[in-house]
Amino acid sequence: MLYRIAGQFKTNYRADQALFPVSQDAWLLGLILICAWVAFPLTASEFTFQTLLIPILIYSLAALGLNILTGYAGQLSLGTGAFMGVGAYACYKLLTIFPWMNPVVAILLSGLFSAGIGVVFGIPSLRIKGFYLAIATLAAQFFLIWLFEKWAWLYNYNTSGAIQVPNVDMWGITIAGPLASSTTQYYVVLAIVTLITLLCINLTRGNLGRMWKATRDMDIAAELIGINLMKSKLMAFAVSSYIVGVAGALFVFLWRGAAEPNLFDITLSFQILFIAIIGGLGSILGNYLGAILIVGLPVVLNSLPELLGVEIKSATLEHLNIMIIGSLIVFFLIVEPHGLARLWGLIREKLIKWPFPH
Amino acid sequence: MHRFTTLAVAASLALGPATSVLAQEIYAPNLAYRTGPFASTGIPLMDGQADYMTLLNDRDGGIGGVTVDFEECETGYSTEKGVECYERTKSDAIVTQPWSTGITLQVLPQTNTDQIPILAPGYGFSPMQDGRVFQWAFNPPASYWEGHSMIAQAISDGDLDNLAGKKIAFLHLDHPFGKEPIPLWEAMAAEHGFELLPIPVGIPQMQNQSAQWLQIRRERPDFVVMQGWGAMNATALQEAAKTRYPMDQFVGIWWAGHDADLKLLGEEGTGYRSISWSIPQPDAPIMADLQQYVIGAGKSQAEDVNSVFYQRGLVISMILAEAIRTAQEIHGVAEIDGPMLRDGLANLNITDERLAELGMTGMVAPFATACNNHTGSAGAWMLRWDGEKFVQDSDLLQGDADLIAPLVEAAAAKYAEDNAPWPVDETCDPQS
Repeated sequence: MLYRIAGQFKTNYRADQALFPVSQDAWLLGLILICAWVAFPLTASEFTFQTLLIPILIYSLAALGLNILTGYAGQLSLGTGAFMGVGAYACYKLLTIFPWMNPVVAILLSGLFSAGIGVVFGIPSLRIKGFYLAIATLAAQFFLIWLFEKWAWLYNYNTSGAIQVPNVDMWGITIAGPLASSTTQYYVVLAIVTLITLLCINLTRGNLGRMWKATRDMDIAAELIGINLMKSKLMAFAVSSYIVGVAGALFVFLWRGAAEPNLFDITLSFQILFIAIIGGLGSILGNYLGAILIVGLPVVLNSLPELLGVEIKSATLEHLNIMIIGSLIVFFLIVEPHGLARLWGLIREKLIKWPFPH
Repeated sequence: MHRFTTLAVAASLALGPATSVLAQEIYAPNLAYRTGPFASTGIPLMDGQADYMTLLNDRDGGIGGVTVDFEECETGYSTEKGVECYERTKSDAIVTQPWSTGITLQVLPQTNTDQIPILAPGYGFSPMQDGRVFQWAFNPPASYWEGHSMIAQAISDGDLDNLAGKKIAFLHLDHPFGKEPIPLWEAMAAEHGFELLPIPVGIPQMQNQSAQWLQIRRERPDFVVMQGWGAMNATALQEAAKTRYPMDQFVGIWWAGHDADLKLLGEEGTGYRSISWSIPQPDAPIMADLQQYVIGAGKSQAEDVNSVFYQRGLVISMILAEAIRTAQEIHGVAEIDGPMLRDGLANLNITDERLAELGMTGMVAPFATACNNHTGSAGAWMLRWDGEKFVQDSDLLQGDADLIAPLVEAAAAKYAEDNAPWPVDETCDPQS
């Protein structure tokens, strides 16, 4: 009913290959964008901004970066947390060395450092595959964290070894640091995330995306039909690490405000990998759904007893929370091993056929 | 329809008195960690803190006639959850008790805008002592730098020049918390001519320190000083016993003196020392009151009420309660808010007489805070493990203020500069 596609005729190939061949999808996305750009900022409280909206966007972006590499190009990586760290430290150094620099430019530039390092650690992917490659990227994870701890220049020789975000202005408005308002930070994050998502949707539908998918599905076959594997794999590492690096810079500058090296530990890499897997490998939408489940749901669950007026000990609540999230992850993976994005895909298909399934 | 009206009336009647009761309340949340890798040390501390507030509420009807809502928000010692808790509680809270150096660093820059004081007793960031820069942060009764200055005095028998030519290993968690005392040790090593050997323990290696202890065995330092936390302490103590490092040359900061860690070693841990600004006093009058009002009434979850950490929890809540009381006196208002509590915390005066009134004589040394000294510098005692429990091993020690004050001022000034524009209280005189 809602998803009736009757009457939507395609008269040329261009229309058939458009981003939204079904007009309802475009409406839905428009609605979500209006919510994100207008409705949420008008209604959200400080708490919602800081614990739900901003982190979900940033984690989705990081998962999107990983998904390009693992979901589209088929290269398993466990170094996401460290690549986020590279972005964060690069942004910190850029803004402390060049305080006049526009912070958004600095954030976008810091992704380049992360991309460079990603390519270096991606070189082993030319020889090794699968789990073996995961171990090679694990080396990046441990090496980079060690570097963040030992190379005092990176944190400007602070005694604590942590980086603190200074107050950064852009066009007279403070967008990062303790004086920045949550609404400004949210809009900056949202703008960057929207832009990169749009780029990624088009990238994965285009030539490069097809190259990646071919590499993922069978690299020997891909090589035989003339795909340059080196270019394909290293491009995947570069693009993925770029996005992850930008996510890392946003993570520290527009959300956390301070960071110590062990923030970028392997647990962060795993968390982002879980978001990508539960959301759905090889999909863009999945990253958002995964982040809502893994990052947003625990916060909502923590607030529930208070809203319902139930008195419950905070530690007990935390244990309950871990159990509920854990069982939900198992449940969703049993119901749909290909992730939440596939689940939505099935629902959408059913809606299109409803009420007359064949 | 009629039913709905009755329901609505009933609901508003039920809610009406409830809200007016709620208004007579001070909300002092605690960012607790009863879960996660540091839970073993967190639980006794949180129990002590909560029990003291329950005692005040049940015995005295709160502080100044207002009950304290001492709610916990679980962080699991994770910075991310800590910030979530801070955001969750900050609208009504009069205080933030972040309970981790990571969360403290994260929350610190926001306090100027949110106007909520941070209370970090014996942890956080040593430069917080400089109240001119850190107007909203308090770390009474002693800072890490003071603690390590006292450790240096204790191992040198009072004269740091005795350490000349010796080698001191500084075993620390590789984390902002662990690195805190390094500048102080470097300054002391340069001045008194001993060799400092910093040995970091990464968070992943907390429970496997064989490499670090191999290094200690090879280097044979004259003393090992530990800035450790959670699982790191128990492992370090066990490794020390395994490598037969002399326990009387091994000293820890106050968070490395957890009874349960040493009970695992028993006799083998004899001689291990830990500096502490609190001493358990099983016979103190307050313990009898706690037994009567809280533990006897089944309102406590505590297991060992005579452990160092449980009683330290009591002292921490005492500091907060006294600050609330002081703030009420200064402002003449029972229901204080964050900025009022800041005045209370900055004008604390815990005297021996006051401790006796509270029934807590000897549990902490008397101290007073001021606008330029947010730490209070109470001093601390050395505790020694005698194979079964911790016993007092020294008189009250004091940090070397001449050495620490310039370091504090320099670090605070650097923080203000890095975070410019940062408001500095010019009305307050510098310490040195």
